[in-house]
Amino acid sequence: MPGGVDIQVSDVTHAFASDEGDLVVLDALSMRVEAGSFVSIVGSSGAGKSTLLSLLGGLEPAQSGELRVGGRSLGTLSRDELAGYRLSTVGFVFQHFGLLDTLTAAENVSVARLLAGASRADARTRALELLDRVGLASRATHRPQQLSGGERQRVAIARALCNEPDLLLADEPTGNLDEENGAMVVDLLQTISAHDRCTVLAVTHDRRVAERADHRYRLAQGRLAVVER
Amino acid sequence: MTWRHAIFLANRELRRRTGRAVLTVLAVSLAAALLTALLTIALTAETKVLDELAKGGPLSGIKVSAALPDPAQVTQDQAQAGAATILDQSAIDRIAALPAVRAVVPVEVVGTTVVVDAPKRDGERLDAFRETVIGVDIAEVPTLPVTVLSGRLAAPGSVTEVTVDEAFLQRLGYGRTEGDQVVGTSLSLGSERPLRVGNDVRTVVRWTRATVVGVVAQDAGQGQILAPRELVAASRQWVAAPVAGDGIGEEDLDVPTVTPFAGAFVVADRIDDVGAVRVAVTAIGYSTSAPENLIASVDRYLNVVGIVLTSVGVIALGVAAIGIANASLAAVRERRREIGVLKAVGATDRDIRRVFLVESGALGLIGGVLGVALGYLIAVIVGIVVNRYLIEQGFQAVPVAVPVITMLAVAVGSTVLAVVAGILPAAKAARLPAREAMGSV
Repeated sequence: MPGGVDIQVSDVTHAFASDEGDLVVLDALSMRVEAGSFVSIVGSSGAGKSTLLSLLGGLEPAQSGELRVGGRSLGTLSRDELAGYRLSTVGFVFQHFGLLDTLTAAENVSVARLLAGASRADARTRALELLDRVGLASRATHRPQQLSGGERQRVAIARALCNEPDLLLADEPTGNLDEENGAMVVDLLQTISAHDRCTVLAVTHDRRVAERADHRYRLAQGRLAVVER
Repeated sequence: MTWRHAIFLANRELRRRTGRAVLTVLAVSLAAALLTALLTIALTAETKVLDELAKGGPLSGIKVSAALPDPAQVTQDQAQAGAATILDQSAIDRIAALPAVRAVVPVEVVGTTVVVDAPKRDGERLDAFRETVIGVDIAEVPTLPVTVLSGRLAAPGSVTEVTVDEAFLQRLGYGRTEGDQVVGTSLSLGSERPLRVGNDVRTVVRWTRATVVGVVAQDAGQGQILAPRELVAASRQWVAAPVAGDGIGEEDLDVPTVTPFAGAFVVADRIDDVGAVRVAVTAIGYSTSAPENLIASVDRYLNVVGIVLTSVGVIALGVAAIGIANASLAAVRERRREIGVLKAVGATDRDIRRVFLVESGALGLIGGVLGVALGYLIAVIVGIVVNRYLIEQGFQAVPVAVPVITMLAVAVGSTVLAVVAGILPAAKAARLPAREAMGSV
């Protein structure tokens, strides 16, 4: 069972080039997240929420400042080390699920396990366990096109949990779901945080997600502000 | 990610884009088929041409005559033989013991009077004529420059079966393709021995009846009739043996000493050894001839043709490889999100590269194997058409070569070329930022 990781973001600035010059999305942003907590970040579109997740997930390097996850400074890691970090420490849940169309639900879940060097049998066993946990054991052999949006997102969550991550990063996890499926996904995220002691950081527009988090932040003009309950 | 897992992912991806995969495989197949067909046809043609030059015998064959050598003969394919000399079993053994000599087949001859039972094409009867019968060990014929045109060879050891050559057919007014008209007919072979009776010299003839069982093209010896050596040996023995006097003044004439063997056919290990073997046989004291220079010249020209044909096929494969590279680059563009997702869940650059290389390699391998099969099929069909023509022209059909090494090389080459073509797209995919998982979703 993972124990979660604490997150320390210090003075991170990140900008994108645009026709009007550099567009600063994170402006000397700093934050701290305790291990095992469930944190939500809300903000308008283009506020930099997904960029923050991308930086924390090691998908791209920060242009300045430092991100430490579990005491490890991401800026010092090589490409291969970042891949290892994403493999063993981080689980991603994307708004548009990010499932591979050519694979079944079970195979999508087991991909992360295969990348970790597990055998196909071991990876499949683990995938079936997780699909059972998200209530999709009966859909193991179905391909993404044969699943509803809610089911796809639950498969994506199962995949994110496959290597028992310490940090789950969710980018608009309910963005494409109806109310019922959205609620189911929020329940899952909360359970993961509470029972698996996994640090969960979700960026969202969805008030239901935000309200269920232990800590809520609003990202605006590149800076974070705590949202009081 | 292991290679096995990469193959699993690549397989699923190729099956998703079946249409593109099929078209790419088709391009590789056609190129590999072209290369295989050209090389197979070239090899078959080379075999046929060299076979014609060697008269059906091995390319490394050397004719040894029972004659003294011409000092300059070793540098000439067809040397002028010197004075006649004795070629006996001990000489044969010495030649057989030379380095790089694979086989030595002695050739015996006997002069005979031939009476043919069958009429000529125009119905006239052919007058008896003198002709040399060549005797060889029939079991060794595959080693000799002998090609069966019609019928079959005489049975080994038979003293009643012979084959005749094209010149014999011409005597009867038949052409090269009309051997069947002669096969099955009979002839009589008369071996003659001079005998003094009183003051007269008479000739005693021993007649042997034989059936013509086949027509051959041969260069084993000078003569129009090829027979088992047992038939020739029996005639020679009779000619040489003393005839018992009958008490009324008969007396054997001295028969001039004749060489036991009129020649021998020597097979060197390789065509490159022919020169050295000829030098060694010359040193022993015999005249030799071999079409080595002609074969070497023709072989050089054929090699040039082979290189040109190979180049055509390789260019076609190169074009197919560019097709693979193009298809792979398109796949990388279309799969940016998927590549990003794989990276987001922990795939390294090497893992991504591996999946793309396996995809390219699989297209090359499948295309290569199918192409080799298709190419060989094309070569066989061409072979059937060409053989039909050759048979019509009175030549022996040539079996289409099965160039196993070439086929393997084409299949492996297609795969390697496809992998090489996939290196750039695979590197491009591997270098895609993991952020693609977020940016495109």
